[in-house]
Parts: sequence; structure tokens; C-alpha cells
Amino acid sequence: MTGMIFDVKELGVHDGPGLRTTVFLKGCPLRCMWCHNPEGLTMSKQLSVRENACTHCGACRKPCTHADCRPFGRCLHICPQGLIKVVGEEVTARELADRLLRNKMFWGEKGGVTFSGGEPLLQAEFVHEVLDLLGDVHCAIETSGYADPDTFLSLVKRMSLVYMDLKLADDGLHRKYTGVSNAPILKNLEQLLASGIPCVIRTPLIPGITDTPSNLAAIKELAGGLVQELLPNNAMAGAKYELLGLKFPLSSASSPDTK
Amino acid sequence: MNTQLYQTIVIEKSHRTLRRELPEIAQEYSVAGLTPIERMTRRFEWLCKEQEPMFLGDEKICFLRTTKNIPDVFTKEEWEEIRSKHYIHESGYPSNLTVDYGKILKNGLLALKDESDTYGCRSIDAILGLVERYRQAALAESRTVLAEGHAALADGRSALAHVLEQVPAYGARSFREALQCVRIINFALWLEGDYHNTLGRVDQYLYPFLKQDMEAGILTKEDALELVEEFFLSLNRDSDLYPGVQQGDNGQSLMLGGKTKDGSCGFNLLSELCLKASQELKLIDPKINIRVDKDTPDEIYTMCSELTKVGLGFPQYSNDDVVLPGLIEMGYAPEDAVEYTVAACWEFIIPGVGRDVANIAALSVPKVIDTCLHRDLPGCQCLEDFYKAVADEIRTGLDAICDNIKDLWFVPAPFLNLLMDTPKYQNFGIHNVGLSTAADSLTAIMEHVFDTKDVTAERLIAGVDSDFAKDPELLHMLRFETPKLGTNSDKADENLVWLLDTIADALEGKKNCLGGCYRAGTGSAMYYLWSAEEIGASPDGRRKGEPFAANYSISLFTRTDGPFSVLRSMTKPSLSRTINGGPLTLEFHDTIFKTPEAVAQVGQYVKQFVLMGGHQLQLNAVNADTLKQAQAHPEHYPQLIVRIWGWSAYFVELDRAYQDHVIARQEYSL
Ligand code: SF4
Ligand code: SF4
Repeated sequence: MTGMIFDVKELGVHDGPGLRTTVFLKGCPLRCMWCHNPEGLTMSKQLSVRENACTHCGACRKPCTHADCRPFGRCLHICPQGLIKVVGEEVTARELADRLLRNKMFWGEKGGVTFSGGEPLLQAEFVHEVLDLLGDVHCAIETSGYADPDTFLSLVKRMSLVYMDLKLADDGLHRKYTGVSNAPILKNLEQLLASGIPCVIRTPLIPGITDTPSNLAAIKELAGGLVQELLPNNAMAGAKYELLGLKFPLSSASSPDTK
Repeated sequence: MNTQLYQTIVIEKSHRTLRRELPEIAQEYSVAGLTPIERMTRRFEWLCKEQEPMFLGDEKICFLRTTKNIPDVFTKEEWEEIRSKHYIHESGYPSNLTVDYGKILKNGLLALKDESDTYGCRSIDAILGLVERYRQAALAESRTVLAEGHAALADGRSALAHVLEQVPAYGARSFREALQCVRIINFALWLEGDYHNTLGRVDQYLYPFLKQDMEAGILTKEDALELVEEFFLSLNRDSDLYPGVQQGDNGQSLMLGGKTKDGSCGFNLLSELCLKASQELKLIDPKINIRVDKDTPDEIYTMCSELTKVGLGFPQYSNDDVVLPGLIEMGYAPEDAVEYTVAACWEFIIPGVGRDVANIAALSVPKVIDTCLHRDLPGCQCLEDFYKAVADEIRTGLDAICDNIKDLWFVPAPFLNLLMDTPKYQNFGIHNVGLSTAADSLTAIMEHVFDTKDVTAERLIAGVDSDFAKDPELLHMLRFETPKLGTNSDKADENLVWLLDTIADALEGKKNCLGGCYRAGTGSAMYYLWSAEEIGASPDGRRKGEPFAANYSISLFTRTDGPFSVLRSMTKPSLSRTINGGPLTLEFHDTIFKTPEAVAQVGQYVKQFVLMGGHQLQLNAVNADTLKQAQAHPEHYPQLIVRIWGWSAYFVELDRAYQDHVIARQEYSL
């Protein structure tokens, strides 16, 4: 089967132990207001233009005959500065596995592959297939934990390490800032705790939203002694929205993605 | 760290105001009809006399240049005549050599008198005369400051005098004496007019002294670090006076670690202290190199990555597993090869016995492709025809370079000669510039003109000639949609392999005018900017005026798949055949080094480079945003350091073209 990815990153140093390759899967059921991977939100291909370097030469606006340009109304194959690209690539599990395995020699015993996103659980079946093809490789996942319990458990079980986000303990606030209830996440957290799979609970520190003492205390409680990482706010978070012609929902308080 | 001394030398630079300008002497020497060696000896004697003994703060390692310029020994007319008769390398004065420091540390300068001619003896007397004046000045100061009630400082000065009584006249007896001795010898080499004076394997020739002092309980590890730092600081006092293409290009490199003669790992406590000292001082001198191999333990890589994190562009790694066989294959005796260090930037040389001219000339490989593109491509029936044309042109180009180097002559350097052994190796190193541009251009031609045939030779040539002005689609295709090095393309990688093999083949067996061989290298030195100006656009989609990548690096605009893919491409060639030196350079965004785990991961990445058969690697921690800020507000960034090609520099002191190139380099982030 095929999956939709938006990046394969070599040497993802903050995505687990050893030398790793990180795959970013496209599509996420959440809409965190601070999300700094806006290209990971929808499952569809998107046009990305570095407008700030554009000289408005007009070349990309002239009609062209390339089939792949048609959906976007701009020519993808002409910008002299290479400012235009499509974010999102449909790949088969085989293609992705082969691409990853080319760099197997770097992984050693500790390193391996990390699945990130977006939300990798949204394409769980595809990830399963890639895992089948990767064989005996240290795999990690970075997830929001938002998925139905079976999908969640069956995938994380196959991982050597799980990074799971816990953003807000309060359901109301969770709905307000991420667009969804945290009930499924908490349920999956319980399963994760029970499973004994090595995991790290991550919380992005968004000023005034997630970094409040009460929220952090509640998350600590929920994490039940698991390893926790607090991720500092990333001042550059808003930059990618512009590329996609989107508006950064939290334009004043910028923030990190934990992936 | 001796913060007071650091403040004086690095921040206030007040010691620079002590320097006097010297008058020209060439005319006088010329009228007197002096021989070249007499001129050099006489100038050295004079320069030694002109130095004013000076001490900075409570320094433990002294010697400071108090004269600015080193007047030439020949007049302009004489140089013209010399150049008409001889091949003159750069300025004509010896450079890029490493003297046998170990020998002097053991026996001292006086012991060399027996075996040296009068010029050598006069040079020894000259420098020892200056040392004696320093000694007396130290004693005199000791008395004055004692009278003023500064007992500690007085002790310090008399300790200095005590050290100078011993070195460099006689062999060193302690670590401190050894460091002072090296400082004086290095100082004297610069004063003689030799340049790019490298320091060699300091952790090998100095370690016995450190070990002995620590075992005797004279030094603690902390004392030793302090001394190493003072020694490093001493190398930064006069460095702004040293000649180079840009400030910082002065060749004061040293080498750490590596195999020893008995095959064991040479990394020792002193190697560790040197890494640490560089990390704490954050100075552009000395330039730190380290030798590693497949058995190097992980901790060493982590230690090195800690230094990389600081952002100086140090250390630069050399892989013994590739370099040693390469040197031996070229004719270096195994017991000499194992002592290799780097000359200035990255060219491998042997201390003492190596008189190689490691950077004698450069071939612009993209220019070769450009010639063949225009002259041969339209007539080529198949890809093989084109490869053949390129191979012929490479051979022609290298032949022309080699044939041009006849009657090589250097200004005699009696002091340097004292410290070198009988030359065993006199090989010439040839840089091969723009390798990635050339390999990618070959790939573009292969892919579009011969494989898919979607571009005709005529269209490609017209595009290159017009800088793609009328064919933006072609530009986009070549620049952004054609396989390149670092994009996981076997095709592209094979072209690099082929190019390096072809270059090595073309030089193999050739003899130079001194009877040595030619060594092919992967370095570019400053030619990555210069040679790029000689041609217009290139078939890889590089536009007119854009520079090549420095050394053995992928093209600036390549959209690489990432650092793994880059290593895979660049370690494919059998690099032991092109072992003159020239590193793969990678820029890592400074945020990569945020956590200790990440620093260790960078170390693992280097280890992988070594295991995959890379020869030389240079990692930089950079942040393009900071660099742009520094361009806009240089006054706020006086200490910002960047790596250029084989040396590091204060960013704000560089010419704009070099600054822009650093900013444009590929940066790998999180
Ligand atoms: S081709 Fe590039 S520079 Fe020209 S208008 Fe389009 S995006 Fe801007
Ligand atoms: S921050 Fe992560 S979970 Fe939240 S919307 Fe972005 S990709 Fe989804």
C-alpha cells in the first residue's frame, strides 16, 4: 500500500538514541494552535512557495504543459531560484523501506528509524507494512496518542521506544487548543503504562497555555513516573505557515512541535 | 585560564602597539652583492637584534614580536630576474613544512652546531642572543617588581629567566621548558621569513615531558591545562602579522592522536588537554587536527564533538586507515608515513624528512568539463566518447601544470634547515578544484544528453553560454531536478569515483623536477572562488559567478537527502589514491548540539565516516542567521569565528566574498 509522507530526515539527533533516520508522515487529527509542522496537518499534497525570496518574475504563472503542475495552477519546474515545491509525497511501503535501508549502515545497534509526523497513527496500516519490511531495526514513534485503542496498541507494541505527547491535562483546554478531546489520549496512555514499552512523555512548553503550574503538575501525575521531557518554546514556529500560505494561529506566542 | 593574558592578547590587543615598522634592506643587500643565504642569515641576525624583550602580565611562556614587517631580502628587479630563471612557489620563501621539534627538545640548539655550516651557526647565535636578552630582562624585571612589593610577579619573572637559561640552547627538562622551547623555535621560524609554520604532532613530542612532570608530582592536570592554554595563547600574539590570503590563513596547525610507530593509539592526556584548551579559549590558532581510525574509541569522538560545538571548525579529522596506505603506496616509508601531520590546511606531510611542496598548483576540474562541453560534446556519438574526451583533457591539463614546474627554487632558510633532516620526500601536491561541480556536470550531461536524451548538446551549450537567460526550464531541471552528489544517486557518485580515478591515473608515475612524484588531492584552497570566475555557468545548473564548493564538498545549492547521503557519496571513491589532502566539509546548524546525547551522536556520525573510508572531514557548527547579523553589525561580533578552507578566521575580518560563501553553504539542522 502507499502512504503519504512529507520528509525523510537523516541524522535526526533529537528523535531517539544513536544515529537515526526520521520519517515524517503527513496528516494529523489534531490542530494544536502552536503546531510548527503545518505541512504535516492535511493528508493532501500542498504547494509551498518561499515568497520572501520571490522576485515576482512571473515565470511560474505562465501556462505550462506539465501534468503535475495542473492541480496547483503554477508551474513547478521553472522557478530559477527553486522557490516552489510540493510538500507531500505518495510512496509505497517498499519504496520507503528501501529508501530508509540504504542508510542502514549508519544506524548501528542503538540507532534506527523514527516515525513522526503529523500523526503516524493516522497511517498505522502503512507504518505496519514498512515495519515488516525493515526487519530487525530499532524503531521509535513520535505520537500525539490520538487514535483508537487497538490501532494505538498494536503499533506501539512494535516499537522499541515511544515518544508520546501530553499537552494539556484538562479536557476543556485540550479541546480549545488542539481541537479534540484528550480522552482517547489518556486511554492510550493507560495502555502504554500497562504495556511496559519504553516511553518518554513530552510536553511542549507553550507560554500561558501548557506551561502553567497546574497543567504541568497534572501531567506529571498522569505520567505516573514515566520519563518526561519538557520541550522549550521554539521562536521560529510560525515561519513555515507562510510557505504554505497559511496563517499561524498563535502568531503572538510561537511554539514548538515536539516532533 | 589566565584571563588577564587572554584579555590582553585577544580582546585589547594592546601588545600590538609595541611593534615598530622596519626599513627596507633589499637595496643595501643588493648593492653589497650578497649571496641569497648570506642575506637570509644577515636579516635573521638583524631581526633578532631588533626585537625588544617584552612580557605580558604574569605569563609563563614568553616571546613576542615587536617589529611589524619582515623586509624582503631581494629587490623587485632581483625577484623579476629570479622568477624569469626559476619556478617560484608563492612568495619564494619556504612554507608548509613541519620541523623536527622532538629533536630540538631533546638536545637543544647548541648541539646542532657541530653538524651545521656557518650560516646555521650564526642563526643559532642570533636567536640565542635574543633569548639571553629576554633572560636578562626577566631578571631585571624580577628585581624591579620585587622592590615594588609584587613578590608573586617577581617569582614568575625569575622562573622565566630560569627556563630561558635552559631552552632552547639545551634540551628541555620539564613540560614548561618544552612548551617555551617550541614557542621560541616557532617564533624564530616566522622571524626568518618562513611561513605556514605548522606545529606537527605536539601530543607526541611533548607528552614525555608532561608525563614525567606529572609522575614526579611537579604538575597537576589543571596546571598542565593552564600551561597548554598559555602556549595556545602565545600562538595568537603575532598571528595577525603572518602572511596569508586572508587574516587567519597562517597555517599554524597541529595534529593530535593517530597511530604511533608501534601501532598503538597515540591519543594521550595531552591530546585531551589540547582539545580542552581549544574549547575553552575559542581562538583561531592553533588549528586542531586529529587522526582517527577504525579502532578509535567513542569517547574520543564525543570529546572532539564537544570542540566542534564551540564553532571554531575544529577539529579536522584525518583517517589513518586511508591516509597511511595512501602515503605508503606513494612511496613513503611506513615508519615515516606513520608520523604524518598536516601542512597548514590539510595536506599530509612528514615532519623533519618531508620537503614536499604540497600545494604547488591546482587544476580546475569544472574548467576541463567546460572545455570538453564546448569542444567535444557536439561531436560525441556516445557517452564513452565524452568520457574519453574528459580523460584526455584532464591528462593534458595536468601535464601542462607539471611541465610548467621546472627549476623550482626556494629562498634558502638556514635556520629552518637546521631543524629539518636530509629531505627524503620532495613530492608535489596538486589540488583538484571544484570536484563536485565537475562530477555533477558530468552527471547532468550523462543523464540528459545521453540517457533520457531530453536535452540536446546544442541546447545545453546555449544554456550554459547564456547563463540560462532564455531557458529557465533547463536551468530548473539541471539545478534542482538532476541527480547530484549527496542525493542518493549511484550515477552521480560513480562520476566522482571516475573523476578521481582519472586524475590519479593521469599523475601516476610522473616524476617532478626534484625527482619526487605528484600527489593528487581533493583540496581547493582559495581556488574555489578564483577558478569559479574563470568559467561561466556549468551544466550542473551552477550560474555564472557562483563559487564552487570549498575542498571536497557537495555543491552549495544541492538539495541533498541529508548528511548520510552526503557521506555515502563522498566516501565511494578510493581516496587513498588522491591523498594529498582536502576535506569533506559539512556545516551543522549549531542547535544540533543542544544536548549531550546529540553531541555524542555527531561523534558517532564522524566514526561512521571513518568506517566508510573517508579520508578527511571537517565539521562546522554554524548559524547562518547569526552570520547575517554579523555582516550587518560587525561591531557586535568581533569574536565570531568561522572555518574557511583549511583555517578558521574571525568572520568580520573576512572579505565579503568569503563571508557570503560561508553563509551559502549547506546547513544541516534538526
Ligand atoms: S518563478 Fe519563482 S521568482 Fe518567479 S514569480 Fe515564480 S516563485 Fe517568484
Ligand atoms: S503539534 Fe503535532 S499533534 Fe499537534 S497538530 Fe501539529 S502535528 Fe498534530
